[in-house]
Amino acid sequence: MMRVAAAILSAGMALSATAVSAQEWPSKTIKLVVPYAPGGYTDSVARITARYLEKELGQTVIVDNRAGGGGIVGSDLVAKSPGDGYTLCICSVGAISVAPVAQTTSYDPLKSFKPVSVVSTIPQTVIVNPSLPINTMQDLVAYAKSNPGKLSYGSSGAGGLMHYSVQLFDARNGTRMTHVPFKGGAPATAAVVSGEVNVSFTNMTDALPQMEANKVRALAVTSAKRNEFAPQLPTVSETVTPGYSVESWNGVMAPASTPDPIIAKLSDVLKKMAADPEVKKSMAVVGASTVFTTPEEYKAKIAAEVEQWRELLKEIAEKKN
Amino acid sequence: MTDVFALLGHGFAVAATPINLFFCLVGAICGTLIGVLPGLGPVATISLLLPATYALSPVSAIIMLAGIYYGAQYGGSTTAILVNIPGESTSVVTAIDGYKMAQQGRASEALAIAAIGSFIAGCIGTVVIALLGPPLALMTQQFASPDYFSLMVLGLVSAVVLANGSAFRAIAMIFLGLLLGMVGMDLNTGEARMTFGLVELSDGINFVALVMGLFGVAEVISNLEGASVRIVNKMRIGTIWPSFRALRGAWGAVLRGTALGTLFGILPGGGATIASFSAYALEKRVARDRSRFGNGAIEGVAGPESANNAAAQTSFVPLLTMGIPTSATMALMVGALTLHGIAPGPMIISRQPDLFWGLIASMFLGNAMLVIINLPMIGIWVRLLAVPYRLLYLAIVVICAIGVYSVNNSSFDVYMTVGFSALGYILRKLDAEPAPLLMGFVLGPTVEENFRRSLITSHGDPMIFLQRPISLALLLVSAALLISIMMPAVRQRRVEVFQE
Repeated sequence: MMRVAAAILSAGMALSATAVSAQEWPSKTIKLVVPYAPGGYTDSVARITARYLEKELGQTVIVDNRAGGGGIVGSDLVAKSPGDGYTLCICSVGAISVAPVAQTTSYDPLKSFKPVSVVSTIPQTVIVNPSLPINTMQDLVAYAKSNPGKLSYGSSGAGGLMHYSVQLFDARNGTRMTHVPFKGGAPATAAVVSGEVNVSFTNMTDALPQMEANKVRALAVTSAKRNEFAPQLPTVSETVTPGYSVESWNGVMAPASTPDPIIAKLSDVLKKMAADPEVKKSMAVVGASTVFTTPEEYKAKIAAEVEQWRELLKEIAEKKN
Repeated sequence: MTDVFALLGHGFAVAATPINLFFCLVGAICGTLIGVLPGLGPVATISLLLPATYALSPVSAIIMLAGIYYGAQYGGSTTAILVNIPGESTSVVTAIDGYKMAQQGRASEALAIAAIGSFIAGCIGTVVIALLGPPLALMTQQFASPDYFSLMVLGLVSAVVLANGSAFRAIAMIFLGLLLGMVGMDLNTGEARMTFGLVELSDGINFVALVMGLFGVAEVISNLEGASVRIVNKMRIGTIWPSFRALRGAWGAVLRGTALGTLFGILPGGGATIASFSAYALEKRVARDRSRFGNGAIEGVAGPESANNAAAQTSFVPLLTMGIPTSATMALMVGALTLHGIAPGPMIISRQPDLFWGLIASMFLGNAMLVIINLPMIGIWVRLLAVPYRLLYLAIVVICAIGVYSVNNSSFDVYMTVGFSALGYILRKLDAEPAPLLMGFVLGPTVEENFRRSLITSHGDPMIFLQRPISLALLLVSAALLISIMMPAVRQRRVEVFQE
């Protein structure tokens, strides 16, 4: 009896606490968890976002780096945090849409979080070492077909987006390239420059400076549309693989129990942020496009991506059998 | 060549503005402080201070952040020498002879030679960046996976030389380190290895947690075990400057360490750590009387400390010339630059000459500031040892715990430290030294990564290690070193055989 009473009492207290916090939110410091190490791409996006949120919400926003397990550790931490609006995540495609499909995570990308908005997107760029006789995407497919397994591609590690985007490409084109994993996207890009690997589907951020210096040859971008920072590059979809679309995104997500009024308020702020010229400029330096989505659009995006990778893994598994 | 000096002159004009001088000093002081506090590393500090640099100009910001990084190399040796707690992987070997020197009442001598060696190495390293930055960067591009593998093999073989006691125990410790280094996600398949299902272990065991446990807390435990008589009373605090004889003995070690550090610092993946380990191994090889090592040889401090500081300077080369970060700290510098609106890459020298040459000039000034800050501080640090141990050890344990926590903001890492403290204590009782273990731990994952990557790119052909000239040369040096280690043992056995 006592226990039931205590449970009701504490539930009531928790309810009233969230009711109050939804109205007054934010009344204290907000923690923005970055599931990656400081200095990386997601970290930069998080710091730009934190700076803007601080200005708009009038509360301190601290960036809390919780790296580990390719983003799983930090994302898991946010999924298990109290949904009071004071713990948010700058999540990214790898740990949200890919990892739960490719390995086991204790969170469900669609059930454990409330997505708020995608804040930035960045396509991958298909780069090759310039010594190869490959100048277009058509060349790449032809070369890969006539030399099965000979072309090697660098990735940021097994099970990362840079790995799966090539697997998807191989599956759609009937090509087979050899996977060479590195510890992160930057060394994988450097390996294309030095010629240790032939190809990489690498983040635009890492590719741009090497493209400018003519150290690598860029063939295409992986997003559905051409990119504003390299409009001369065609998309993979318009050249060889219709419908191919892989894009890296970062977005603000909250624990699933976060009250809707807080999500709505946050969504409004992020909508303003996406139109802010200062923010756009900072994002452009990182090579990212500033984006806004409604929570519903964001959720649908994640669902579609999870589906895409689940299908691909099934396809690969079937081929092996 | 005159061109370089004109540009460097321009750099000094940038670095010597009052505002940049000020931030250079701030960086140097911050770096020294975090270097002295065990476990608190430059990565945590720079990421904390990053938002504070938003208001600064990009040049001032990067000058300050760089100051923190190389300043930490100066400070890192302090706790290694005084209380046997290396602040960073690069100071692990400094603790071997540095702490012995402190126990013999020569702490100030050790600290002074560490600071002076760091200063000389820092200056030479900076000259090398200025003169040879771009060609050196091209050289590192020649390094592919097979070459890294062979370099790491050389490192592992040198680790045996590190051992002061039995070679058997040293090899056992290296293998224990290799095993500990295997914990975590397998790079090639994404499978978790020996993590017991703990996500916290998926990136491997935290290095700082391991070091703080094996060295720091284990040292505290064994100190508390004995009667609390400390060596401090023997200490002469008055003379900070090392004797002429000590300086003469250390001179060659400083230069050799600098050369190794300058070279290895440019290489990605723990170049600075290998540099300090190799510098120690080299000193031990060239010394006339090897038995002094492990018993307070000044070269054992001078070599590695010069090497790690030279490496700290030259590790900026790949970042500034190619836009490729070679360590966690350098990745953070990339982040700092991009947040300030500069995309690092091969074009940075031509597009941002102020930044490149200003940073290089600030390294000269920063190193001078550091030696001025550090030499008078030595007296204060040594006096710290006079604090009763029952008070000192509490502070050590607390600071270790904070340091470990600050790396990943993870309490799991603090629990791991507790576990490793127990292991460290047991190893101490077994007379097994932790330095070779750490060498195995640091090099193991890199060895494996590059070995497997080499075989993937060669489609399974192991000849790739002998076909590449760099790799072949490194393997030959390793083999020669290994034979020279075995020789005395072989000879001794033969003598024994004849005696029978």
